Amino acid sequence: MNAMNSNARPWIGRIVMASLFVLVGLSGCDFLDPTNVDNPRTTSEDLADAAEPTASLLPGLRAKFAEAIRSLVVTTENVSDNYSIHGTGLPKILDDPSSLAPVNLNGGGGVYNTAQALRALGDFVIDVIVPEDDKSTADQVAEARYYRGMAYLIMGENFTAAPVEADGLPLPASELLTRAITDLAAANSGALAVQARAGLARAYRLEGNSSQAESFASSALGADADFLIQQEFDATSITNSPYAFLVSRALQEMQPLPRLDFLDPKYLDREAGIAYAKAEEMHLILAEIDLAAGGMAAGRAHLVDAINMAISRGTTSFTDNDPRANEDLSIRPRDASIVIRADANSPFIAGLVLDRLAGGLPIPTVSATSLDPAVVAGLTDMDDVWHAFHLARQEILFLEGRRMSDLGIRLPIMLREIEANPNISLGDPGTTVVVPSYIPFADEMDLFTPKTLYDGGLLDENQILMGTEVTMNVDMNRVLTVNRVTPF
Amino acid sequence: MKTLIRVLRPCLAAGVTALLVAAPVMAQNTGTVTGAVVDATSGRILTDVQVSIPGSGFGMLTNDRGRFILVNVPAGPVTVRVELIGYGSVERTSTVTAGQALVLDFQLAQTAISLDEIIVTGVGQATARRRLGTTVDVINAQTIAQAPVTTVAQLLQGRVAGASVNATSSQPGTGSLINFRGTSSVFGPQTPVIYIDGVRVDSNVSTAAGTGGEQSSALADLLTTDIERIEITKGGAASTLYGSDAATGVIQIFTKKGTPGQTRVTFRVEQGVEVPELKYIFDMGVIFPVIVADGGAPADFLAQEFFKNGYTQNYYLNVNGGTSAVTYNVSGRVTNGTGTQPKNESTVYAMRGGVRAQVNENLTVDFSGSYTHSSYGRLFNGDAIADPLTTFEVGDALFFSGESTLQGALEVFLSPTITEEVDRFMFSTALRWKASDRLSTRLTVGIDNRSNQQRILEPIGFTPGEPTGNLNRRDRNFNTVSLDAALTYTWPSDGWFTSSITVGAQGFRDEESIINASGRTFALPGAPDIDEAAVIDAFEINTELFNGGGYIDEQIGLWDKLFIGAGVRFDAGSTFGDDVDVQVYPKLTGAYMISDEGFFQDALGSVIDELKLRGAFGKTGKFPEPFERDRSFSATSFRGESAPEFDNPGNTDLKPEVTSTIEFGADVALLNNRVGINFTYYDATTTDALFRVPEQPVTGQGTQLRNVGEISNKGIELGWNVQLLNTQSLAWSVGGTFTTVDNKVTDMGGVAPFSVDASRKRVQEGLPVGAWRVTTPRDTDGDGGFDSSRNLFICASDPLLAIDIDENGVRTPDPGCDGDEVGGPTPTKGGSFNTQITLWNRLNISAMADWATGHQVMDWGSVWSTFNAIYRRELIEGLDCSGNAPGGDPRCFPVDQTRGRRFSSFSAISAFMYDGDWFKLREISVRYLIPETFAGQFGLDRASLFGSVRNLKTWSKNVMIDPELNGLSGGGLVLGSESSITASPPRSFKMGVEVVF
Repeated sequence: MNAMNSNARPWIGRIVMASLFVLVGLSGCDFLDPTNVDNPRTTSEDLADAAEPTASLLPGLRAKFAEAIRSLVVTTENVSDNYSIHGTGLPKILDDPSSLAPVNLNGGGGVYNTAQALRALGDFVIDVIVPEDDKSTADQVAEARYYRGMAYLIMGENFTAAPVEADGLPLPASELLTRAITDLAAANSGALAVQARAGLARAYRLEGNSSQAESFASSALGADADFLIQQEFDATSITNSPYAFLVSRALQEMQPLPRLDFLDPKYLDREAGIAYAKAEEMHLILAEIDLAAGGMAAGRAHLVDAINMAISRGTTSFTDNDPRANEDLSIRPRDASIVIRADANSPFIAGLVLDRLAGGLPIPTVSATSLDPAVVAGLTDMDDVWHAFHLARQEILFLEGRRMSDLGIRLPIMLREIEANPNISLGDPGTTVVVPSYIPFADEMDLFTPKTLYDGGLLDENQILMGTEVTMNVDMNRVLTVNRVTPF
Repeated sequence: MKTLIRVLRPCLAAGVTALLVAAPVMAQNTGTVTGAVVDATSGRILTDVQVSIPGSGFGMLTNDRGRFILVNVPAGPVTVRVELIGYGSVERTSTVTAGQALVLDFQLAQTAISLDEIIVTGVGQATARRRLGTTVDVINAQTIAQAPVTTVAQLLQGRVAGASVNATSSQPGTGSLINFRGTSSVFGPQTPVIYIDGVRVDSNVSTAAGTGGEQSSALADLLTTDIERIEITKGGAASTLYGSDAATGVIQIFTKKGTPGQTRVTFRVEQGVEVPELKYIFDMGVIFPVIVADGGAPADFLAQEFFKNGYTQNYYLNVNGGTSAVTYNVSGRVTNGTGTQPKNESTVYAMRGGVRAQVNENLTVDFSGSYTHSSYGRLFNGDAIADPLTTFEVGDALFFSGESTLQGALEVFLSPTITEEVDRFMFSTALRWKASDRLSTRLTVGIDNRSNQQRILEPIGFTPGEPTGNLNRRDRNFNTVSLDAALTYTWPSDGWFTSSITVGAQGFRDEESIINASGRTFALPGAPDIDEAAVIDAFEINTELFNGGGYIDEQIGLWDKLFIGAGVRFDAGSTFGDDVDVQVYPKLTGAYMISDEGFFQDALGSVIDELKLRGAFGKTGKFPEPFERDRSFSATSFRGESAPEFDNPGNTDLKPEVTSTIEFGADVALLNNRVGINFTYYDATTTDALFRVPEQPVTGQGTQLRNVGEISNKGIELGWNVQLLNTQSLAWSVGGTFTTVDNKVTDMGGVAPFSVDASRKRVQEGLPVGAWRVTTPRDTDGDGGFDSSRNLFICASDPLLAIDIDENGVRTPDPGCDGDEVGGPTPTKGGSFNTQITLWNRLNISAMADWATGHQVMDWGSVWSTFNAIYRRELIEGLDCSGNAPGGDPRCFPVDQTRGRRFSSFSAISAFMYDGDWFKLREISVRYLIPETFAGQFGLDRASLFGSVRNLKTWSKNVMIDPELNGLSGGGLVLGSESSITASPPRSFKMGVEVVF
């Protein structure tokens, strides 16, 4: 199919090749023309022969989107306070946001690379294939625009700047969000309307545009009051990679913050869907808009809506085999008798830790929260409402890749981009991690006391729980409250 | 073109038929040539001397009394040639009378540097070594017969100056890492190209699915059976005629085709014991002291329950003989070894046949073919969680198995079954036609087909892996067809000026097909088929490539003292980009037999017997991987759809990387040929080095091979041998090799430093390829405690210290680091020692040791054990690490004092880097030739007893891991020097008997 291009060779090459042909013939063997090789991959020429190239490439965009969503979760959940790393499969430095450098995010499966891969394939489909494909449909183009819009949204949500073309300068997050909005708006029709509106609400929230955010959050809910849109995975190819670190590995590398234990592991099999648009988030956006505008009652009402919706999602019975091991095989909280307080000034709360060694644990697979809607409805102090809001956002959007951005942390562009792009140097916008000053030192967000909770480590035969009270070092929701962290 | 071939083929057929028909009827009047061969100095009988009548096909080896007899020699003038490695060859001409015996006795004089030896590799036609301006190493049949080895890779170990040959593990089916003259490339393996009887063969060192690190290798089934000689070129001008395929050197193997005379049947039986090398296994007393103290397991649990003595058997049958017109050599071999680890049994069935037909006095046809079937059992290894050896040594055995006892855990870890079956066919046919005294031609065509099937079954309940059961099967089929044709015109062949010009063409085509299928989750126990699984997955990989070219090689001799060679190879291939021209590889060589000059004889003749000065310049290449030139798309299965994505960016300028080598050297024989020395200095620069350059992620593309780098390798190669004693009853010689390599990346071509082989090995300007760059704890705030970790290069003089290199290349070593040399995984110096003793012409004793220094190794097993809070190295070395920190024992795994806990081992890999120096007493072998008078009583022509031991003793600077091994690397460039808990090759004791009748 793709024989060696001998046409491009000068005369001397032809003489050499001709002599070889002659000698092959002289050998009398059956192999003829040994120079002919077939590339089993699809070449550019092959692609040009596709009958409906846009339709052929759309599954590729769907797959790239799945890769982007799963890597978003793995990277950002570990950088945030939601998870810490205790095994061999993930780089420990993700637990220490201030130390993150472009080199630490250089893996091909990292969120920067997968988001750019989604965006680049989107560009190829929208800018190169669609104009030449007279069989492409409006729905197909809308779907392609949606995925590219989501790529821009992920970049704008988690990076301060990023290039969007070869040799390009990094565009600021505001420009990335503008592009996200443009693409998502183009997808706001037909089958994708609800998720496009949800995406637009997220994008406008990040822009701090309260009116547009409120408009799209409301219209999304208006179209489907309890919508839930998840990216599902494939057990044999693009799997739910968080599942690998939460459940299937011999060492469950990702260990939740003890006060979020009841939400873990959320993804119970390799194909489990990761939500990227759901009604709860719209209620939370509406709540945040009102709270930021000083409307405590309205905000509190939306917050209660979000909590009620989360509770309505229910749980699935799951037998966990995770011994809750730290990297040194000491044991983390794993008994239901343990009570936890969010910091030294908070009350101890029961029910946050499940009996990990017991079977049939009730695990939420979509949303859950420790907040009681009745209690929240009765809150009268603005700080308490804000705290409940941040806790609700953390718990309801747990393992969906929002928390790191909510904490105000922004990742640097991966090193490979900086090194390969002649117009980007270390130190340029987007090339360093952004960690707000209210984020504590190193991995303090993940720590708690007492560190030694059990008598004996994992390898000892008779571990005994020595105490039931656990205190988190820092309550990041209190920190967010005190610092009034919100885009609005 | 196909039409042209169709037209030519009948012409060819007619031509060959005519040649065959033209073969003259052999003479009917014959006589016998007989005689004896002795050492000229001592009068010692010389056995196994090659006696032949050149050009006739007659030949044989002298027996244990130094005698030979050539029967049915046509009456008339005859020239008998006598050759023995280490001696100058002698020719005598006389006349055979029909029906009578012509007696010709020979006295051979020792020569220390074998200048009469005929070399065929890397030159257009067979050429005496004295005329070569390059170095070509030779391993001859006698060395092979004495060596207690099974594979070609083992045979090369310690016997070739400039070669680094390291075993990778004790598991069957794994191969060695072979490297000549340093690392010249970063994108693929350094394994030299291997030819057997002129046919290029599979030398892939990663032929099956990974099981944790140790790789299945095609080198494992290249056996030493029936090899007559091996010629080795290590790149440079000696390899230039192989074009884009030879930058890593060429190993050319010639198999036996038989010798004329009566049929000789050789039968060899060999039995042996393999004793596990436990030097680097520290067992349970260190890892599970509580269990040992409680009596739950003995302190030497692994030694008792896991390792065992292995039993080896080898049976070999050979039939050799022929007439002056046709000779043959046919053999069969069965080898079995139980291994020293569980589930490591291996069985090899091998058959080989070689035939040489002297069609007429001008036309010779050689045919050789072989078939090998190998079966291996294997274990998970390296960094696989399912690796039984590692998991016990690092403390994970109970945790990953879920068992409460070590015995129970071992049962779980040994429950998987990994098997591999390899079938390999090779054949070669070669025609040599002497058209006239001046014009000769040769044509070689052959095929190597290797197929292997690997099955990895994790049974239901295998908790360290997939507890619901998993079966993975990988089939690889590799086929290569090669062709080599040349025409040589020699004129004048005598006189003060001689000339020989060769025009040739050579090409090969490789096809590789891999199919991998796996099934997960089975309902029923047993040995299931994949289609019984709940989840089935599969993929395939197919590649094809062609590479070929033409060459011209001119060899000129002046006064039989000065020899000049010049040649050029033109090369084309399917791996080159569309915009790439034919590649041109020139060479120029010179050799000067200065010791033949009168002035030299007058001045130094009493001391120096022979001195050849030589120099050479030559280019060689290494072609890119198949299809790397093309822009392509691929697709993956995702939720019932075929999901396309960008695959390869494409590079129309892609071409081979080119290594230019300049070398100078001398071959000298001293003190009445008692001392021989070969010395070579080489300076090789690889330009247009292929780096896998990352595309900008914003493009959505991965990486692309591009010709951007430059790599330098310089060094010396020294080979020496000394005849210490030479009497009628005793001959004793010693010898050795010494090699240095100075390897550096000299230009990155604007590409950022990147990792190869493993993430800890870097390619960076000014540093050796694969320079170790590992996480190193640092005290940045000066409070005496480690508070951060950085990736830093290790100090070559002390691998526990670091060197910081800034973006301008400025190096800042830690205090105590001697110099600023960065450590790497490849030895910078290596060598070997050997000795041979012959007593009473019956007892041969030989021994060989080899060594390597200048590299650093990584102990992954100890890194792993820290995950379990087991500080294995500190425990074994007895270090007191309490409160360790800067100022404490620098060998301790560091403590992060800020947090009062140990650093993550990922943050302190530097604590597990060691000096890699090693010395191994590799081989001792003894062979006793039973007197013919005794053997004859049993109807035997010849009988001998032999015994050997291999891998007898290892010394290494570090005590934790065998620094020779490689137990972690995958495919592509494999540099080695990092291991998890990997079993060393066992001490192998063998003894046997060989009879000829």
